[in-house]
Amino acid sequence: MVQYNFKKITVVPNGKDFVDIILSRTQRQTPTVVHKGYAISRLRQFYMRKVKYTQQNFHEKLSTIIEEFPRLDEIHPFYGDLLHVLYNKDHYKLALGQINTARNLISKIAKDYVKLLKYGDSLYRCKSLKVAALGRMCTVIKRIGPSLAYLEQIRQHMARLPSIDPNTRTILICGYPNVGKSSFMNKITRADVDVQPYAFTTKSLFVGHTDYKYLRYQVIDTPGILDRPFEDRNIIEMCSITALAHLRAAVLFFLDISGSCGYSIAQQAALFHSIKSLFMNKPLIIVCNKTDLQPLDGISEEDRKLVIEMKAEAMKTVIGQGGEPENEEGVLLTMSTLTEDGVIAVKNAACERLLNQRVELKKKSKKMNDCRNRFHVALPKPRDQKERPPCIPQAVLEAKAKQAEEEKKRKTEKDLEEENGGAGVYSASLKKNYILASDEWKEDVLPEILDGHNVYDFIDPDILLRLEELEREEGLRQAEEEADDFEMDGEELSPEEQEALAEIRKKKNLLIQQHRMKKSTAESRPVVPRKFDTDRKFTTKRMGRQLSTLGLDPSLAINRARSKSRGRKRERSVERGEADGGDTMDIDGNQASKKLRLRSMSRSRSRSRPPITEVLPGEGLKDSAQKSYSYIETKAPVLWETFHWKDGQALRHVQEIKL
Amino acid sequence: MPQGDYIELHRKRHGYRHDFFEKKRKKEARQVHERSAKAQKALGIKGKMIAKKNYAEKALMKKTLAMHEESSSRRKVDDEVQDGAIPAYLMDRENTTRAKVLSNTIKQKRKEKAGKWEVPIPKVRPVAEDEMFKVIRSGKRKTKQWKRMVTKCTFVGPGFTRKPPKYERFIRPSGLRFTKAHVTHPELKCTFNLDIIGVKKNPNGPMYTSLGVMTKGTIIEVNVSELGLVTPAGKVVWGKYAQVTNNPENDGCVNAVLLV
Repeated sequence: MVQYNFKKITVVPNGKDFVDIILSRTQRQTPTVVHKGYAISRLRQFYMRKVKYTQQNFHEKLSTIIEEFPRLDEIHPFYGDLLHVLYNKDHYKLALGQINTARNLISKIAKDYVKLLKYGDSLYRCKSLKVAALGRMCTVIKRIGPSLAYLEQIRQHMARLPSIDPNTRTILICGYPNVGKSSFMNKITRADVDVQPYAFTTKSLFVGHTDYKYLRYQVIDTPGILDRPFEDRNIIEMCSITALAHLRAAVLFFLDISGSCGYSIAQQAALFHSIKSLFMNKPLIIVCNKTDLQPLDGISEEDRKLVIEMKAEAMKTVIGQGGEPENEEGVLLTMSTLTEDGVIAVKNAACERLLNQRVELKKKSKKMNDCRNRFHVALPKPRDQKERPPCIPQAVLEAKAKQAEEEKKRKTEKDLEEENGGAGVYSASLKKNYILASDEWKEDVLPEILDGHNVYDFIDPDILLRLEELEREEGLRQAEEEADDFEMDGEELSPEEQEALAEIRKKKNLLIQQHRMKKSTAESRPVVPRKFDTDRKFTTKRMGRQLSTLGLDPSLAINRARSKSRGRKRERSVERGEADGGDTMDIDGNQASKKLRLRSMSRSRSRSRPPITEVLPGEGLKDSAQKSYSYIETKAPVLWETFHWKDGQALRHVQEIKL
Repeated sequence: MPQGDYIELHRKRHGYRHDFFEKKRKKEARQVHERSAKAQKALGIKGKMIAKKNYAEKALMKKTLAMHEESSSRRKVDDEVQDGAIPAYLMDRENTTRAKVLSNTIKQKRKEKAGKWEVPIPKVRPVAEDEMFKVIRSGKRKTKQWKRMVTKCTFVGPGFTRKPPKYERFIRPSGLRFTKAHVTHPELKCTFNLDIIGVKKNPNGPMYTSLGVMTKGTIIEVNVSELGLVTPAGKVVWGKYAQVTNNPENDGCVNAVLLV
């Protein structure tokens, strides 16, 4: 579906600006430097490029203009006619035609001059030809300057046309000037149309949208139409006529029965009869407006007759197409936009009739037949004559009835508010439904701080239960403490007990220190974790015993373990040393006090180190020769440097000259 | 007011902003300074264009000012002097006038005999042969240099067919052939696009005339039936002479002025 959006047309520049734009673009986008010493083909190419580039740009811009402006024959006839009414089709086409000719002329100029440039034999000649070519192209554009200005004005006006979709559900409002069309429009849609006491306030079509049965309807407000022969109509009236003629819409013909618009009912009826041909195949409703000034029953006899005539005509507009009114009264409706009396009824009637008509049409169209063949409503075949109505249990029915009654009986807060003076005057009491021990407390104000405590900290529904629980716990704990609590008094103990106490304390201290030691130095040594050695059985002696039972020589392993252990005597604690017997591996718990360790200790040798070239297992070397070779390779240069650091330096012995 | 004119609708309903007019006035006053700053800072071709525009404006302004300054003061009005009226002391001197007329006729006769006509461009710059022709090498080894290509604009008649290329000495390329000229009538001051009938005389030499080369100063004959001129006898004039006023090979078109 084409969107009738004329806002997307690019701006049409005026003649002078157009020329400026293109020429400056040529100057920027093509090479600018050329000397007369260049090869002639290069000179020719340089200037030919400029001519061609300019022509291309002109061609592009003119083509966009021609393509973006809508062709009056290819758009919906409503828009075609509307644009013709507003801008005059002939002028429009002429202007676009001139742009087209200009485009062709420019192409021709460029072609001719490029041909001539091939014969250019000097820089001066090529340059003059290029100047002549560009100059001629610009003259062409200067000549179409007025057309460009005209098209720009049209574009600006077109962009402001209301976006009316000619294919959707539409309601059209027409009638004499000042009968109340725009006020009605303002009432049912959100379009803010100007409403003024003088005629022809509305000078163009206005669009608004309204909803009915979950569908969106377009409401179009037209300028007033006077009763004149067709040829005498001005542009504003022609807008309404165009809308009436081309849009498939429900028409609301407005009648001012009070005559306050300045035209009598007779004149309005005359208008109706002169344009009734435009109402063919459209659901028509005659709306009598301004009934607050003059009710329909109060009009004179001749006027009444005219109205009845109009009604009869209106009944005949759509026959057999589905948009028929259900009854006689569906065609003639009264309302007053001032008191908003009957406005919604009119809208609903119009929407309903339009919907019916459209549905009928759709049903008859070919597409519906294709769809209908695919639908099949399956009903179960009755197997016997028994009637089976839907079964609703009695309780549900009763509950529903009760709810309905309650709904009606219950007084809502909103009702209360309105009774007591409205939104600004009445403020609802939010504490009305509180459930408290005593009803008198409902309106009391709760303090926030009491005795230095935050009241809200103490608010809890189960607060009494909690209090009891806490008191119970407190009581229990107190009892426990009393049982635990006994004082260690020196006089009460016997000397053996005192000794034992002292020992125990010492041991406890020791344990604490060892633990601390272990914690601080655990990462630097491989240790057997405590979980594997709770009894402290992993000693080197034990390892040696086990290896010899396996048949292996334990001495190497023991040496290795020893070499990695710390130095012996000093670190051991006095008590532990004797107890252990010496060669234990470092395991958890065997540490000296932390204080001794603070001073970083060098590893004192427990056994003599093996010679430098002896291959130890685990080094990855084949034999001692390889090891000595590796030493020479890696360490010798360093050693040489270390011992010969003085060589090569400036500091030398000065030969003492013996005098 | 159409539905889309939101600005105007708002203004109609709520009026203008409280400082709208002041802001507008001040903005317009500032434009003068901004314009001048732009003109001073602009470089290159933009600067030249701005300067040109400003100069044109200035010239126009000066002219209008001078016009306004022409005061409507009263000046002495000279008595109308009729053409041919002479003061009393010169009244009896006819002989010299007649003599002048006689000598003028003699001069004109002489000019006719010599073939000198009064043309808008009496003298033109001579065009050398190497400027007019380009040497085209031909032959198997490209050593023969007897062919020439004309580098200026030419006119060949409608029934023109080339000589066989082997014998053709002068090549007139079709890209440089023109059939129409832009002819200006000197008195009416308007230009017409007229067909060329032929080249009458090229001031650079008879060879060029026979080749049909059109350079500046060439006399050509154009078809003026468009103008609707009539001889005193009543016959319709359809051919007239015009002189070429530009260098057609540089401009890509032949501009000429009609010789009346």
